Amino acid sequence: MSARSDEFVRIGFDEILYLCGRGGVIGVVKAGVGQWFIETEEEEIALFTEADDLFVASGFGTGERIVKGIGCMLYLVRDVGSPLIVLPKDHPASGRLKIVVSAGAKTTISCDITPGTHPEQDVLCGGGEFDGVRITGVAGGVRLHNIDPGKIDIWTSKI
Amino acid sequence: MCSVGDVVGIDVKTLSTSEYECLDCNNKFKGIGKRVKCPTCKSSNVRKIG
Repeated sequence: MSARSDEFVRIGFDEILYLCGRGGVIGVVKAGVGQWFIETEEEEIALFTEADDLFVASGFGTGERIVKGIGCMLYLVRDVGSPLIVLPKDHPASGRLKIVVSAGAKTTISCDITPGTHPEQDVLCGGGEFDGVRITGVAGGVRLHNIDPGKIDIWTSKI
Repeated sequence: MCSVGDVVGIDVKTLSTSEYECLDCNNKFKGIGKRVKCPTCKSSNVRKIG
């Protein structure tokens, strides 16, 4: 029987929401109204976010090192303004990435993504217990859809 | 809206970007979102051209 449910978690702009499973950690912050840059091998795309849009970072692994890394990654992207770098397909560095990041109003976590089959562009890879979880930015916080709180530790802290 | 890292299988070419021209500094750029501003001069006086 599935124990999955929807949860609302209140977070402020200065807070980070952590979701910790057995094989991975996800961090979520409010993006706020702002301008960011997506850099590819061929072009630059300016990304304009709204107040409740989110940056979501998914880390492969658990423990203090990954949790700190996710906090640092989200700080680097949102507070420092580091551009989002998109590696070309099949780049050898892809397999070495420890943390990946998405931006936007919602992000769906999947542990089974086939390259080129997700044109909706709101999918981020994550560990098994995160599969199918949707993370949506809403007024005052974050809505977690289809999440099993019994398998995922949820907490917030200052970024 | 977008993800970073090839491991997630994202094809950036399928992102719903639009092309804009800044009417103040003539800069042309690609953008995603509602409150589009010129990345160069920060002006909101932009028009969609593609």
